[in-house]
Amino acid sequence: MELNNSKIKIKAKNLNVFYGKKQALFDINLDINQKEVTALIGPSGCGKSTFIRCINRMNDVIDICKVEGSVEIDGAEINEKNVDVVTLREKVGMVFQKPNPFPKSIYDNIAYGPIIHGAAENKDQMDNIVETSLKKAALWDEVKDRLNEPGTSLSGGQQQRLCIARALSVNPEVILMDEPCSALDPIATAKIEELIDDLKKSYTIVIVTHSMAQAVRVSQKTGFFHLGKIIEVDSTEKIFKNPANKMTQDYITGRFG
Amino acid sequence: MSGTGHTVKSYEEEMQNLNDNLVMMGSLTESQMADAMAAVIKVDKDSVDKIVKNDGKINELRSVIDNQITTVLVKRAPMAVDLRITISTMKISHDLERIGDLAKSVAKKVKPLPVDLPDELIGSLRRLGDLVQKQLKDALDAYLNKSKDKAIEIWKKDEQVDDLTNLAMNEVATYLQKDKKNLEMATHLLFVTKNIERAGDHITNIAESLYYLIEGEYLEGARPKGKPIES
Repeated sequence: MELNNSKIKIKAKNLNVFYGKKQALFDINLDINQKEVTALIGPSGCGKSTFIRCINRMNDVIDICKVEGSVEIDGAEINEKNVDVVTLREKVGMVFQKPNPFPKSIYDNIAYGPIIHGAAENKDQMDNIVETSLKKAALWDEVKDRLNEPGTSLSGGQQQRLCIARALSVNPEVILMDEPCSALDPIATAKIEELIDDLKKSYTIVIVTHSMAQAVRVSQKTGFFHLGKIIEVDSTEKIFKNPANKMTQDYITGRFG
Repeated sequence: MSGTGHTVKSYEEEMQNLNDNLVMMGSLTESQMADAMAAVIKVDKDSVDKIVKNDGKINELRSVIDNQITTVLVKRAPMAVDLRITISTMKISHDLERIGDLAKSVAKKVKPLPVDLPDELIGSLRRLGDLVQKQLKDALDAYLNKSKDKAIEIWKKDEQVDDLTNLAMNEVATYLQKDKKNLEMATHLLFVTKNIERAGDHITNIAESLYYLIEGEYLEGARPKGKPIES
């Protein structure tokens, strides 16, 4: 569903996902606009995480998972056999529910991706990438004097921003966030939300969240998933003020189950 | 609005209490308006104090509703239809309170009126009072039934309220022109007329809030306005 003149960055067409015999997604058609935040909401097990994992082919690592249908980024199919998954994941970064820094220093956490991708030719260039990434993730001022300390020594909110900085270090175009604030306190959550607001100027963001209030605060477009199907997609304002579908209304007003 | 109740029962109860209080407030306001109009038409000075006193009950209810709404907002962060009910209830309760105030003001004007109010002065005023009371009753019924069509009908009918207001004011002005000694009485009646018309405007606000509650959109277009009568 196209709501305005924004360019479509990601286009899912007739997407079906199976875990063994169990079908997790049914004929998903969803357009995600460039440099906007799209929020995906829905009860646990509704398929929203499965859906975002289709955008960087994270489901490839699950043996029994089968993906049918199409996901295009900038008009190019990502499920083609010749697509290099490492390059795809460079373009489409991911941040998870629980901050998961590598058991390495803050510096090395950021440098890890650029090293794999050969993004820096020397130490100066790498220093520059680390500093820029940490600045973009609004973490630089808090860690610039302790870059050699372990990433795990940071607070939960800082660790999550470190993971965002790590995703940013390889110059992605899309950032997928799977409940990025569910393990954080309100202050750390506010910092991440402020960061999302800032990042959307340069990146396309898809966020899965169980917090309606967070979806309202951070996103421009919202999709409601239920039992593996997409029930309604519209502007966030419309979804939360006056949704068209009764199931959407029942879910967001707490009338479900 | 939604067939299914909230999973959290206490949320359901809070919304029900809010609705009940608004209905009670509407019913009190309706009685106050009826009593104030009857007092004017019959020049019943004895009923004035009771009407003035009863206005306090409406104000108290508004205060209760305000508190309940603040609680719902902070506790529940209502969404979609719940958000629209909450916002509309707050607006409607404020309009009802203002209608109550206007009924009180109308009643207070009865005391200085002469007991033998000439019929020629109150013909249009009586019709205006009847129409506004009907509008208020219809608005409250429309709220109970969540009737969008009725809300639009009430909204459009404010034009008739404006027309009758102009007519009633002209009648008073004509009476005043006959004898300048009528000035004091005429002034009171002009205020009464204007207050009833303003109550009509608040009823139009209620129709707009109700429409938003039901549809999630605002009634579009300029409010219908009666044509001014040239004197």
